[in-house]
Amino acid sequence: MSRRYRQWVKEYQNQAWTLARYLLKDPSEAEDACQEAFVKLWRHQDSIDPDKVRPWLMKVTRNGCLDRLRRRHPTEELKDWRQEDESPGPMKTAEQNEIGQWLKRSVSGLKEPYRSLVILRDIHQHSYDEVAVVLELSLSQVKVYLHRARKQLREQLAEVRP
Amino acid sequence: MTHDERKDSSGQLPDWESRVNALLDGELDEASTEALKLAASKDHELARAIIEAYELQRGMDHLGRETAPASLRKKLQQIPRAQKPLLRQRRWVMATAMACVPLLVIAVMLMQPRQPSAAEVEQARQDVTLAFSYIDKVGFRTGDYLQNVLGAELRHGVTDNISRHFPYTEQSREEENS
Repeated sequence: MSRRYRQWVKEYQNQAWTLARYLLKDPSEAEDACQEAFVKLWRHQDSIDPDKVRPWLMKVTRNGCLDRLRRRHPTEELKDWRQEDESPGPMKTAEQNEIGQWLKRSVSGLKEPYRSLVILRDIHQHSYDEVAVVLELSLSQVKVYLHRARKQLREQLAEVRP
Repeated sequence: MTHDERKDSSGQLPDWESRVNALLDGELDEASTEALKLAASKDHELARAIIEAYELQRGMDHLGRETAPASLRKKLQQIPRAQKPLLRQRRWVMATAMACVPLLVIAVMLMQPRQPSAAEVEQARQDVTLAFSYIDKVGFRTGDYLQNVLGAELRHGVTDNISRHFPYTEQSREEENS
């Protein structure tokens, strides 16, 4: 196995998984989407700039997820995350507290590209430049959209808070 | 403090939303941070927005600790092994295709119409000349024969029925008479 590929898997598998999980809300489908993205990474590893592997992988993962969402029946998108997430998920730490559960639902309830923006920037701490590459947006668009997404989440938080 | 009271000295409404975001991103300079703090100390809503923004950020940090399930990790580790046979297969296909290329070139060359050499052209010309000379000879002999036959018939024709000298015609005449 390529040492380089193994390193990439180690570094980015959790991020790709989280992104796919939030976008698809279905663990098995998210797993498939991640696997497809990494297969593409393996096949194109020689043509990808090693410094840009993370945005490349996130972009491929996101596009794969969006393709899957497009193929889905529209009503499937409205399913509640909690109903599907019966297995002991990896977000257990966050779910143990109220805000974690609430955040998970709120982020997954955001529209695209707000959802991907929040995941990439606020959860995975990608730079603005990287996010712009992944989402194919300008830097200013990324900032504006992210502000809107954060504001939306804050407003939702204010509603659920006493 | 009301919304309008948040106006700065220039009379412009400061974009608190952007400043709160910049604060979260660590992009706010010291002076702007102090200004924001001062504004928040007088503005309950702004203070609450900043607190909520930090709470969100903390929550996001927790969500970021998510790890991929073991089944996925295993699948990702197996990708190189699963993909290598495909690559090998592709290499074999490529190698076979490459080996076929010279054979294909030779076959195409053999199938193309060959240009005859000058000696062959000359030989063909001689053969054709010879063939024409034979044809001429046959033509002359046939002409002589016809001339002989027709000439004799024409001579007999004055005193006798010409059809008598043609076997089929003569036979037919006899049959008619009988």
